[in-house]
Amino acid sequence: MSDASPERSGLRYPKLEHFSEPNVITTTADFIFSWARSHSVFPFTYGLACCAIEMLSSGFARFDVARYGMEVFRPTPRQCDLMIVAGTLNEKMAPVLKRLYDQMAEPKWVISMGACATSGGPFYDGYNVVNGVDKIVPVDVYIPGCPPRPEALFQGLLELQGKIQQHRFVAEKPAIAAGVPAVAVDAPAPAEES
Amino acid sequence: MALEIGTNPMEMDTIAARLVADFGDELRDVRVQEPDTIVARCDKSVLKDLAGRLKSHPEIGYETLNFVAGVDKVSHIESIYHVYSWKTNTYLELHVELPRAKAEVDTVTGVWPAANWHEREAWDMVGIKYLGHPDLRRILLKDDFVGHPLRKDYVDLVENHPHV
Amino acid sequence: MFEQFDTPEPDEAVKLALRRIDEATARGEGSDVEGLAFNEVVVNMGPQHPSTHGVLRLVVTLDGELVKDVIPVIGYLHRCKEKLAEKRTYFQYIPIVDRTEYVAGINCEWGYVMTVEKLMGIRPTRRAEFIRVITGELSRIASHLVAVGTFTADLAPLGTAMVFYMFRDREGILDLLEELTGARMMFNYFRFGGVRYDLPDGWVEKCREFMKRMPKMIDEYESLVDDNAVFLQRCMGKGVITQQDVMDYGITGPNARASAVALDLRRTRPYSVYPELDFEVCTLDHGDIFDRYKVRMMELRESVRIVEQCLDMLPKGPIQLGSLRAPYVITPPPGSCYVGQENPRGEFGTYIESDGSRYPYRLKFRDPCFCNLQLFPKLLSGNKIADAVAISGSIDLVLGGIDR
Repeated sequence: MSDASPERSGLRYPKLEHFSEPNVITTTADFIFSWARSHSVFPFTYGLACCAIEMLSSGFARFDVARYGMEVFRPTPRQCDLMIVAGTLNEKMAPVLKRLYDQMAEPKWVISMGACATSGGPFYDGYNVVNGVDKIVPVDVYIPGCPPRPEALFQGLLELQGKIQQHRFVAEKPAIAAGVPAVAVDAPAPAEES
Repeated sequence: MALEIGTNPMEMDTIAARLVADFGDELRDVRVQEPDTIVARCDKSVLKDLAGRLKSHPEIGYETLNFVAGVDKVSHIESIYHVYSWKTNTYLELHVELPRAKAEVDTVTGVWPAANWHEREAWDMVGIKYLGHPDLRRILLKDDFVGHPLRKDYVDLVENHPHV
Repeated sequence: MFEQFDTPEPDEAVKLALRRIDEATARGEGSDVEGLAFNEVVVNMGPQHPSTHGVLRLVVTLDGELVKDVIPVIGYLHRCKEKLAEKRTYFQYIPIVDRTEYVAGINCEWGYVMTVEKLMGIRPTRRAEFIRVITGELSRIASHLVAVGTFTADLAPLGTAMVFYMFRDREGILDLLEELTGARMMFNYFRFGGVRYDLPDGWVEKCREFMKRMPKMIDEYESLVDDNAVFLQRCMGKGVITQQDVMDYGITGPNARASAVALDLRRTRPYSVYPELDFEVCTLDHGDIFDRYKVRMMELRESVRIVEQCLDMLPKGPIQLGSLRAPYVITPPPGSCYVGQENPRGEFGTYIESDGSRYPYRLKFRDPCFCNLQLFPKLLSGNKIADAVAISGSIDLVLGGIDR
């Protein structure tokens, strides 16, 4: 799926590399911002079904998600950066998911937790089930399991931390993934991926 | 008033005989299903009246509705009412057969208020129309869903899957 | 990108709420202040909401802080379970039943497996019956801990210590169940005629030790909130379920028992080895939020007693009927049957119609939370919105069961 980056939604930030080459100041600033962002993620409690109980368990005393800085589960999307979709998505809920995803501010990431959110899970042939959250929103990390243990959720969160730390918010870096072009400021906006 | 359970315990055969005696012409095919259920059948035209009398029967009042299920038996459609009697601590399973082309029956919401949502679900899933229901609209599926999924001839439609 | 700022089209539930306001205005029930227009607002709570315990949507008609009417909208977790039953064999369906009321998976499996066993006319082995009761009661303890924990977490958003302690102890139970069945939540443990795995070495001792610790922990939970003036003021006298409601709407479980209705399927229509066990049906009189919370705490103690008795009475023997070791495709004879079972939330029943083939012809769940939720409009109207949140927490809903 597409890398979660500001260009995706059409917003254009003027980047510092247009004024100077990437240098030790911009890369250090990038490093600090990315490090701070990855260690203070505010998850959005989008627990739909059984995986939500495992997500709750991971927030409490035994599997403590606060050691990663992610204990601030906010119920409103406007204050969050990470949406953890935990549970089965169905056709009635899909517009709600899209709406709440739109209400989150950039930069935002999505974790699809569990087999149902990844691909429909044990209910894949239901008439009302959407086979995977990535049909509605772009997903950054998939966590398999039914339900995934809290340790599996943590591995997903750590993967996401690694992904966040690769972002460059201040200065542009050569493409991380093969085939992702670096976008110049006067090029037309890339097409919306739906 | 304390709601007691089993104040009038009766043997299953006695209950069956009593039901046949009191409702003989409306309640058909009464049989006992061990250990605690009576299964019977009735016509859709007598359902509402029969339901009221079953509920207010002095010795075996079936006062609580457990669930209403719609079943698509290919030749006809059935609406099953599963009711509970506090006095005898037994169940009654009432089957009402409806023609497939016109699956309509009177609502029993006036008798058992619990039927409200159960009948909505039967309408949603199997397409049984309950005449006189105060609020018959879809309950589990989205409002613009086309078709009734638990019918045996339901085919997954593209309109119902905009996010495929 | 700017769709997020559009007001969505009112759907059926909101239109119904607006229609009801119009009808009330036409009847002359407008604002009680002379000269002011009708002042009710329709507010949408959910389906994504921290206090609705899952994807429940409440379309609330508010007059200031007072709730005038509630229209619950469900179906946001409808996973087509009843249709899937027609495409899965009886054995393949056991993991799916687990996910119906996912907080108390073992109890749901038990209800389904009992119905199929009754259709087939078989009974499980005696050792398996005792193991079923032990795991069922452990699952009941875990479920009540989640229920009461999230209820207190609603009263002050995650601000109470109670939910942390309860989840800590729930982890102890999940450890026991994980050692036995292999999974923390979706156990897939019951089989037709028995259970899948036998108790591992040392499990009985660990379970006994945990049950010895449990009463002290229950005392600790109660000491946290029972004397708290704010908790008592918020919970006493609010959200009363009357006995007429219990009869009219089919309310079962702790919600009914808190209204002095001694309806416990383990006693009134006993199954498994419950007739041989000594436990009490916990009832209280007032039917308000506090009594529902207290009944659940009392049931925790009774479940501990039941588990201890079963561990003492556990017989030796096989855990599965020999004839069902393999293969696992069963074809019950044609017929239909309904069996109700005491879930932590009430009567969880399965109605199965079989036509003699490998797949069920029709499977219908009688879910306790579906029946309990019907009471919401009557129960929440007339209360302030904060009380509405407390009441809905005390009813203990699990949307997986409501929406199936």
